[in-house]
Amino acid sequence: MSQTLYDKYGGFKTVSRIVMTFYDLVLDSDEVGGFFEDVDLPRLVDHQTKFISSLLGGPVSFNDDRLLAVHRTLDIGHADFDFISNLLCEALEAHGMSEADIKTTLAAVDSKRHVIVTTS
Amino acid sequence: MSITAINEQLLRAIGVGVALVRQRDLQFVFFNQSFAEWFGTPDPETRLDQVLEGLDVEMLKEQGEGALRFSSEITIKRKRRTLIFAVNISGADETGEPLLVVECQNITRIRELESMIDSYSTMVERNTRELEREKDRVERLLLNLMPRSVYEEFKTFGVVTPQLYQDVSVVMLDFVNFTDFASRTDPTVTLSELNDIFTAFDRIVEQYGCERIKTIGDAYLAVSGMPRPTPDHASSVAHCAIRFLRYLERRNQSHPHKWQARIGLASGAAVGSVVGIQKYVYDVFGPAVNLAARLQVYAHPMKIAAPLTMEDALLDEFDVKRIGSADLKGIGEVELINVVGEHPSAKRAGKSIF
Repeated sequence: MSQTLYDKYGGFKTVSRIVMTFYDLVLDSDEVGGFFEDVDLPRLVDHQTKFISSLLGGPVSFNDDRLLAVHRTLDIGHADFDFISNLLCEALEAHGMSEADIKTTLAAVDSKRHVIVTTS
Repeated sequence: MSITAINEQLLRAIGVGVALVRQRDLQFVFFNQSFAEWFGTPDPETRLDQVLEGLDVEMLKEQGEGALRFSSEITIKRKRRTLIFAVNISGADETGEPLLVVECQNITRIRELESMIDSYSTMVERNTRELEREKDRVERLLLNLMPRSVYEEFKTFGVVTPQLYQDVSVVMLDFVNFTDFASRTDPTVTLSELNDIFTAFDRIVEQYGCERIKTIGDAYLAVSGMPRPTPDHASSVAHCAIRFLRYLERRNQSHPHKWQARIGLASGAAVGSVVGIQKYVYDVFGPAVNLAARLQVYAHPMKIAAPLTMEDALLDEFDVKRIGSADLKGIGEVELINVVGEHPSAKRAGKSIF
């Protein structure tokens, strides 16, 4: 069994830091921060922890239904999606993830584009 | 620089929001930089409760004078972020005018991390439960391959020491013309027939406190007296043997294929151990196993053959018939009996040794 990125980068120890950085980046961003205006804190952290853990192959099953449920009402466009992907990329870079692994991770995010982007 | 000035500079610079207000009107005497950053710069007439919204001032008044100590938590919304502060208020009146010292600590990050740990714990706990379930499945599977006591030893030490049991009895059963049946029948039918019969045998074996060791093709091998010593091991296997045949007779009445079996019994010593490292098999070896195997070949269809040496142990509960001696390959001349049936009084409904 090949090692997951989750294990490769030190498990939850690193994921928690990536989540915190990503959380700060999206909340501080004027472009996309508005999407998180009314989300309460524990819920957002919970969502991001599970989402990022699952992207990296961590011990969580995070299915598309759940993603769809939380994003459905938000009217997210392709540009918003790309913007947040870039913020995630920044967060991953900040915690020392290699270029190749970031590419793999972002490809995994991109595979969820159809679930998250809700405006046609 | 005086000590007071140093103190004041320190107060201004620290990451804790500090303010001093007069107790009588709650107006500000002092506030530091952190306090102003979080709650805005208060005007001279502004009261503490106007700046810290949600602060329970009544509680503060009720505390009265003297050893005033008050803790609370307030939440404010800055842009889209929810900030959470722990507020500590204590009284001080060294200047003559009763003052309140207000300390505010930003605990937002702590709350965020707490949420994250909650989220992570839920993930991990769920995984732990799944692993537990998986472990149970593996355990059940291994318990099919070896007796529980052997499994416990295997689990604890990673190996099983072969163990010699002096007094065990073995029952071995084999079907007449099985090869013939298998060659002219659909393999799935053969398998389902065997499965059906062996499942019934397993229940019988369990009822008499014996252990099924293995099936080899159409042969069925069970023992009594190991790994747990059983004084009446001989009669236990004989009871099983009689019930195997009775079950087949009854089954044959309603099924197209009429199964005929030969059964050999033997008592003596046997060694039990797990064989193999990657593919575990619990197996038994020894004179008792060899003899039962030979006798099963020797027995007539639907008959139970046993050595005369077992007669003594069986007489109380079974009808036995001496059938003379036979020269068995690798063993030599052996006096034999047939176990014909149970005495009516000995028809136990099965006993549990647990």
